[in-house]
Amino acid sequence: MIEVKGLTKRYRDRAAIEGLSFELEEGDILGFLGPNGAGKTTTMRVLAGFLPATSGSAKVAGFDVFEQPLEVKRRLGYLPEQPPLYPDMTVGSYLRFCAEVKGIASKGLKAEIDRVARLTRVDDVLGRVIANLSKGYRQRVGLAQAIIGSPPVLILDEPTVGLDPLQIIEVRDLVRDLAASGKHTIILSTHILQEVTELCRKVLVIKSGKLVDFDTIEGLRSRHVDGKELSLEEIYLRLIDPTGELRHRPAEGATPAPQTPNADAGSAESAPQSAGAPSPEPAPAGAGAETTSSDGEPPTKAAAN
Amino acid sequence: MRNVVAIAKKELNIYFTTPIAYAMFAVMTLLLSYVFAGYLNAFSKLSLEANVNPQIAEYLNATDMIVYPLVVFGGVFVVFIVPFLSMRLIAEEKRQKTFELLMTSPLRPVEIVLGKYLGGVAIMGVAVLIALLFPAILQLFAGSAGTGGSGGIEWRTTLLGFFGLFLWSSAAMAIGMFVSSLTSSQAVSAIVSLLVLLLMWLASWGAMATDGALSEVMNWLSAQRHLHGFARGVFDLKDLAYYLSWIVLGLFLTHRAIEAHRWA
Repeated sequence: MIEVKGLTKRYRDRAAIEGLSFELEEGDILGFLGPNGAGKTTTMRVLAGFLPATSGSAKVAGFDVFEQPLEVKRRLGYLPEQPPLYPDMTVGSYLRFCAEVKGIASKGLKAEIDRVARLTRVDDVLGRVIANLSKGYRQRVGLAQAIIGSPPVLILDEPTVGLDPLQIIEVRDLVRDLAASGKHTIILSTHILQEVTELCRKVLVIKSGKLVDFDTIEGLRSRHVDGKELSLEEIYLRLIDPTGELRHRPAEGATPAPQTPNADAGSAESAPQSAGAPSPEPAPAGAGAETTSSDGEPPTKAAAN
Repeated sequence: MRNVVAIAKKELNIYFTTPIAYAMFAVMTLLLSYVFAGYLNAFSKLSLEANVNPQIAEYLNATDMIVYPLVVFGGVFVVFIVPFLSMRLIAEEKRQKTFELLMTSPLRPVEIVLGKYLGGVAIMGVAVLIALLFPAILQLFAGSAGTGGSGGIEWRTTLLGFFGLFLWSSAAMAIGMFVSSLTSSQAVSAIVSLLVLLLMWLASWGAMATDGALSEVMNWLSAQRHLHGFARGVFDLKDLAYYLSWIVLGLFLTHRAIEAHRWA
């Protein structure tokens, strides 16, 4: 369904992604992982036909993204990192516009809008102006836009970011339902590893634009055995930070608590970020929250998010 | 075509759910009323004089003395108002990140350009129709006042003048849209298009200060010159060609600018 070969995207002399290759079958749900700035969004933009690649090729649903962009776009639903909403429109007219430009026949237009609105639970705000909606609603309107017309391929860039726990569960359930239908191939980027374990069959990890690992979750688990079965979180940390130096450097002074298997996703997310901390000295008070969170305090991190 | 209409509808939807369209119509009506009342006043003073001086009565003509200057004033108004309507056309999509939605929907760049342009032109069409109310008012009151059917205004000239005004708005909208496609800042887009339109409008001043071929070129470039023809009730293909060329150029360049996103 999706075939990526040697995909490279350069901005001047900086490579955002380099030589990325992977393949997905129909019905595959891919968890797309990597630290911030690793090139996840760039990859998704290239696949969605928003950005051209510098070299390499990408095929979606059998069509080349660069040669036949319209054919690809007809089969693809895309939720960018920031939901592409017109703040001055009402939810109903926005979804109608999306349905129209995605070529949904005018006959079934109303029914399709109602269907996606119900699925994403925005049916109670159809008459409201988007600018006045809460972040959770906006995110779900963005999601409704992506799944309108049931495209066979869905690309979701951090669909649960900024949602409250209940909404995260709702979106997760929605993605699970879409996945269960077996008709969608989904690429899902997220920092919440728990989400990946729950939803995805395959995992792709990139770091600094390069592929680190691509396998099924079971495959990853069977390759990374350390006396006991490792959680995805532990595997992720091994892949991104094999020597452990990134994790422990800024945490100096604080208790270097080992990652517990049931620690929430937030801690894992922060680990690669903390690599950017400038000095190994104990962080000043202002940055305290971030430092503590990097060694296993998910609630603080979640709040900071 | 369906996509073009969908985008045009969306543009109009946004123009009319935000205050921008209403503000523009209100300002336009206010200014035109003021100018209209002024011309009307001058005309009525002159017609009083005509009672004692039959020579004046010979060239006393409501169309020439009220409608013509109204159309020309409308042309100035276009210079100042179109940049504020065209500024958001593409710059806003980029700033709002909705450009990503347009570019990842199954739309051809030409459909995006035409749809947006159609939305912008439609709103100027409504503005021109509202402005047509002024000659209609004149007709309503002056039509019965005339002696022996000479009252009222010449509708052929009036309509041609307003058609010229619509062409000038459309050309201005095409240029403004191109400028808007170059930036993600609406303010920059408005300022640059305002300057460009002002230069186009005032090119005839340059023509007066120069001579020879340069003067002729400046004259040809002047949006004002070409509007005068229409406002006088003279239909000249050269004037039509002038405005159509700007429209085509604006649309073509906008198309290039959007197409460029797929390659850069």
